[in-house]
Amino acid sequence: MPETTAGIEYTKVAEIKGPLMVIDGITKASFDELVEIETSEGERRLGKVLEVGFGKAVVQVFEGTTGLTITGTKAKFLGKTMEMPVSQELLGRVFDGLGRPNDGLPDPIADKFLDVNGEPMNPERREYPTSFIQTGVSVIDGMLTLVRGQKLPIFSGSGMPHNILAAQIARQAAVVGTKEDFAVVFAAIGVQYSEAQYFKRSLEESGALRRSVLFLNLADDPAIERIITPRVALTVAEYLAYDLGMHVLAILTDMTNYAEALREISAAREEVPGRKGYPGYLYTDLANNYERAGRIKGKDGSVTQVPILSMPADDITHPIPDLTGYITEGQIVLGRDLFRKGVYPPVNVLMSLSRLMKDGVGEGKTRSDHMEVGNQLYDLYSRAQEVRALAEIVGRAGLTGTDLKYLDAGDMFENYFLKQAADENRNLEETLGRAWEVLSTLPEGELTKIKDKHVKQYYKGSK
Amino acid sequence: MSSNSALERTINKVLSKKETELISQIDAAYQESLKNIEDSKSKLEAERTKIIESAKKQAENLKRQIVGSSRLNARNKELLMLENDVNEAFEKAKARLMSSGKEESYKSLMTRIIEDSLPTVGSDEVVIECNKNDSELVKKILAESTKKSRIKTKISDQPINVIGGVRVKSADNTMTFDNTLDSRIERLKPLIRKNVARMLRGTAGEEE
Repeated sequence: MPETTAGIEYTKVAEIKGPLMVIDGITKASFDELVEIETSEGERRLGKVLEVGFGKAVVQVFEGTTGLTITGTKAKFLGKTMEMPVSQELLGRVFDGLGRPNDGLPDPIADKFLDVNGEPMNPERREYPTSFIQTGVSVIDGMLTLVRGQKLPIFSGSGMPHNILAAQIARQAAVVGTKEDFAVVFAAIGVQYSEAQYFKRSLEESGALRRSVLFLNLADDPAIERIITPRVALTVAEYLAYDLGMHVLAILTDMTNYAEALREISAAREEVPGRKGYPGYLYTDLANNYERAGRIKGKDGSVTQVPILSMPADDITHPIPDLTGYITEGQIVLGRDLFRKGVYPPVNVLMSLSRLMKDGVGEGKTRSDHMEVGNQLYDLYSRAQEVRALAEIVGRAGLTGTDLKYLDAGDMFENYFLKQAADENRNLEETLGRAWEVLSTLPEGELTKIKDKHVKQYYKGSK
Repeated sequence: MSSNSALERTINKVLSKKETELISQIDAAYQESLKNIEDSKSKLEAERTKIIESAKKQAENLKRQIVGSSRLNARNKELLMLENDVNEAFEKAKARLMSSGKEESYKSLMTRIIEDSLPTVGSDEVVIECNKNDSELVKKILAESTKKSRIKTKISDQPINVIGGVRVKSADNTMTFDNTLDSRIERLKPLIRKNVARMLRGTAGEEE
């Protein structure tokens, strides 16, 4: 839109309802157009057009409508969608949930202005993610391998250490064989101040803050802003990846708060509710964000997404984790039982999966036995869980010798392989070494998922 | 007498036995102590290595943190200084615009601004606001343009405090189109800032 047509200001506010404002007498407005609202006291807020027609426009006010009045409120339609100024200078900066500086520094001097909704990636230009990312966390590297361009969410519950795990991944993530560091884009969506501070401090202490961009919408910030936070964050991530050729790790926490904000707007618009009151388009909306991860042919960079969502009442069938699971390429599920046992990271491997692992590991990428070791560990732990359940009924005395070995191997898996310190960075050799030590507690004949040549090479137990 | 010597022999025998026992016990204890010291030495060595490793790790982290924060702080200071310079450039540019009222180029700019603004509001009757100095110029331009346009125009009696340009309002005051130079500068500020910053950094034209 030419710059001269921008900036018509309307004063006829017909209705204010929840986070929405209906403006009358509209001659020119377009869907998703950015609106600057000025209150009667001169305070300025931002909003966007949700619907236009019959001379009216429905505007969603990001900062909420508290304090707005029908008389005296002005709405200026800016003739453009919401844009984020982007440049390399964004690295090391802290912004609010709408992408405005929050660190006392001026607006970034932009190299470009990008629409926060992003541009759909041409499916033909997408490159299949196959490059291994070493996170230094054994359970992820060994069994739930993350690859560049993947979207792998962490399904967590309230009070569990998902942020500690995400911060550890952010600090330690490395592309094996290169000295390249990941740029980190962190979007805090409705999280507590302490959580956001933890993340910031963690990046600062590891010296990673200067290759990070933080967007903070805290729990006491307006809920409606949360609709924009992941979008601005992913816009910056895309710029860093595809324009500057960086490998970007985008951490979005907590997507549950994002979905709540979506529900709030949907209720105010009186839309037909879907499951648990979330709008019917929750799937599409989540996909709009999650699908902004990936790699593009001919471009050096990549956007790897680690969205975090807390499952209400640890319910994995809740619409948010349920729909997320359909879109993302696997999930890391944190388990309450392991957390109570004091195991960090409390990853419930039997519920977790990385769908792209098979393409990112093996000969030439990691190690030829990697996939088989991962599969065998799944088998081991699953059997150990069954034996644990059985032991609760019949007692240890009722178990066979092999069962007892599985029982011990299960404990060793949790305490030696899974458990690690929050600042412990294990390389892949160490991870696989530990995996083999756990597997070597089983009789050789039990290792049915591993090729003989690998068993010969790495098995340390008794025949 | 003989019983006494037998007793003495027995006592001596017991004493000697006890002495040997004690010596061997002392010897064993001594050996054990040596072994303990040796064990402790290796434990201590391991502990020492662990402490040194952990301290090295901490020092490395601290170094990374200090270097990272210093670089970031230096960059942030540079950003603040640049912002000051950019703002100064803006103020100077505004001052220059203020004094450009009599130039011929300003008249053609105002004509374009007014011609663009009138239809934008979309009302048949509009009120035009401008600053005190421009009021005559606006009247002149309107006199020429209303011949071409069917929009009824009126110039507001209340001058506005702006550098230049006009603000067009619908007669019922429900719509306003702010096309003053101030508002245009504000609107285009992000783009202008980018160019000014490039010039100040001496990278003008590098990317173009």
